[in-house]
Amino acid sequence: MNENESTLKLTNVTKRYDEFTAVNNLSLRVRPGRIFGLIGPNGAGKTTTIRMIVNITAPDEGAIELFGQQMTPELQDRIGYLPEERGLYKKMKVADQLRFFAELKNFKGERVNDAINYWLDRMGLMEWKFKKSSELSKGMQQKVQFIAAVLHNPDLMILDEPSSGLDPVAQELLRDVVLELKAKGKTIIFSTHQMEMAERLCDDICMINRSQKVLDGSLREVKHSFGRNAVALRIEGGSDGVLEDRSLVAKVERNSDEIEALLTEGADAQELLKRLIASGATVSRFELVEPSLNDIFIAKVEESQ
Amino acid sequence: MTKFLAVIKREYLIRVRTKMFFVMTILGPVIIVLFTVVPALIAQIKVGTTRIAIIDQTESSSMYGRVRDSILSKVNDEGEETGESEAARAVNSNAMTRAANTERARETSFQVEPVQPGGRSLDDVSRELNERIKRDELDGYIILPPDILQDGEVKYYGRNVGDVFTRDQIKDRISRAVRDQRMENEKINPALIEKINKPVNMSAINTESGRQESGGGFFFVFIVGFLVYIMIIMYGQVILGAVVEEKETRIAEMLFSSIRSFPLMLGKLIGVSLVALTQFAIWALAFVAFALYGVGMLSERGMNISLPPIPPIFFLYFFLFFILGYFIYATVYALVGSMVTTTQEGGQVAMPVLFMLIIGFYFAFPVIRSPNSPLAFWVSMFPFFSPITMLVRIVTQTPPVWQIALSLTIGFATVVLLMWLAARIYRIGMLMYGKRATIPEVMRWIKQA
Repeated sequence: MNENESTLKLTNVTKRYDEFTAVNNLSLRVRPGRIFGLIGPNGAGKTTTIRMIVNITAPDEGAIELFGQQMTPELQDRIGYLPEERGLYKKMKVADQLRFFAELKNFKGERVNDAINYWLDRMGLMEWKFKKSSELSKGMQQKVQFIAAVLHNPDLMILDEPSSGLDPVAQELLRDVVLELKAKGKTIIFSTHQMEMAERLCDDICMINRSQKVLDGSLREVKHSFGRNAVALRIEGGSDGVLEDRSLVAKVERNSDEIEALLTEGADAQELLKRLIASGATVSRFELVEPSLNDIFIAKVEESQ
Repeated sequence: MTKFLAVIKREYLIRVRTKMFFVMTILGPVIIVLFTVVPALIAQIKVGTTRIAIIDQTESSSMYGRVRDSILSKVNDEGEETGESEAARAVNSNAMTRAANTERARETSFQVEPVQPGGRSLDDVSRELNERIKRDELDGYIILPPDILQDGEVKYYGRNVGDVFTRDQIKDRISRAVRDQRMENEKINPALIEKINKPVNMSAINTESGRQESGGGFFFVFIVGFLVYIMIIMYGQVILGAVVEEKETRIAEMLFSSIRSFPLMLGKLIGVSLVALTQFAIWALAFVAFALYGVGMLSERGMNISLPPIPPIFFLYFFLFFILGYFIYATVYALVGSMVTTTQEGGQVAMPVLFMLIIGFYFAFPVIRSPNSPLAFWVSMFPFFSPITMLVRIVTQTPPVWQIALSLTIGFATVVLLMWLAARIYRIGMLMYGKRATIPEVMRWIKQA
């Protein structure tokens, strides 16, 4: 796949509501077949950005390109959207409901029934097919909403906080399904403020805060460029002030039986391990810890305030 | 187009498949019949006897006998004084006068007793009678003044003088007694007066159809106006509920990512209108079947029912004007629904619009009386009234075709304008959660979109 190809491209997009700027000069690129995390605190402008991508609102400035074209109502059919604010018709049967949402995406005919059966089975809802949605639990309703977003086999899926309100088992199921979709070559945009989920799933991320982009790139790049190398340690005896050597260790945090050592910039973790062993310490754990997305997120949000 | 049809199909099927629709379609006509039969039945229920004492202050108590006979007599005193015709009464029959007429028709029975002052003062007698009323031995008493035959004022004391029906009956009957006495004093034979006052007989014939019309035709006009009025309110509420549901359940955002707001709103309006039309079609078929077979069968068994003659073109007009009224009001309801957060709130906001419909319904009555007056013309051109008023004109005395066409043109132009306005508000309103939109906000949306 061409590195320069993009499923979605936003160029200098700005959206204002009266005096309030919801999205300010945002540019981003989503590559095909990847899982893209749009992360940021509540009110950062994630939902507004997504609403522009799915053509619910139009940007005031800037351009949005989808599959290499300007946005059109026809392109909407190639997107599957699970909004954060979502619901179902209470008095409609699950299957009828799904068929209706599929028809709204121009997805019709016999393949609709196949798709409904496939997805109800995959999400473990087969026995609820002819039940009204008001009879379903909230978690089951969430699954139905998810099916409504992916049923018409879209090329791009936008999932806004998809796991909120799901139990751990359902979250796991959702994760598997998303990875399956990725394996089929689908592009997925994930919007969340749950960093753990984003960290486990996303290939690329874009972090926005206060209407502006603060960070983007592949997850690896982002972590690397954040440049914080920490080591989780469990040692007995020895050490002889190795951890106090400021040319090697910038900061030490002692937990109950573990030590987290933040390496000085440019210092080598291998060097630290050698020195510790040489000092006669018994090393029972030595692990390089990448900064978590959560750490990066908090640091970036604090930085921008 | 697929999307638009999908919305129509969903709105239609989800409503037609419900038990509620089935019940309403069957019960609707039954309810209308009940509304006409039940008041008549209630009117036949007798209420208790009113016990009255009479203090006659005239010379040698000469009026007591006559007044007593008059009050106890069962002569129908209705309409005699006002000279109001049946038709006029029917035209004026809004809910209150209808109830009043029902009450007036009810026969109140009286029990009358004389009071012998026996030398006591009027105050003493009154006090004693008041005591008796308190003990529930009496409902009221009447004082006939000495100069009653000139212009003396009769006084009626009672526990329940707010009961205007009894009060009016007593007044009418005393008047009759006094009038008869006056005639006798002037040596006029009451039987002669009755002969002189006898009203002429008249029958009304429609010049266009050449048929003689009883009150049935009027009843039909009323039913038509009422039906349009009720159905517009009912299905307007349905639209309001449907829009608020999509907002409340947050489906709107999923919908807007697939379909534009205008076809979504229009699909909803059309889908629900088809539900109403299905209902009408079922009723019309039932009516036609009844006209073809039912009437014949009933008259064979000795029940004569004359159905008003309905020209087939009327069904077309009915369809057009119902659709017009529905789209005017339903569009407003859709607009309101997108602005509010709950159905109750929507009901309040839509109130002023509903008033327009109610006013339109009340205009039906003057229009029935003079369907060619300037008033009738103007109210049948005003789009918020015309669905009812023009239909009423068509049924009573069909106006020139250009007037009907003009009314429809104005009406449907209004629909287009309202939809244009509603579509602009709809999209933004539907995505706003948690609070009701204010008027300035809505004005801004209209300018923005």
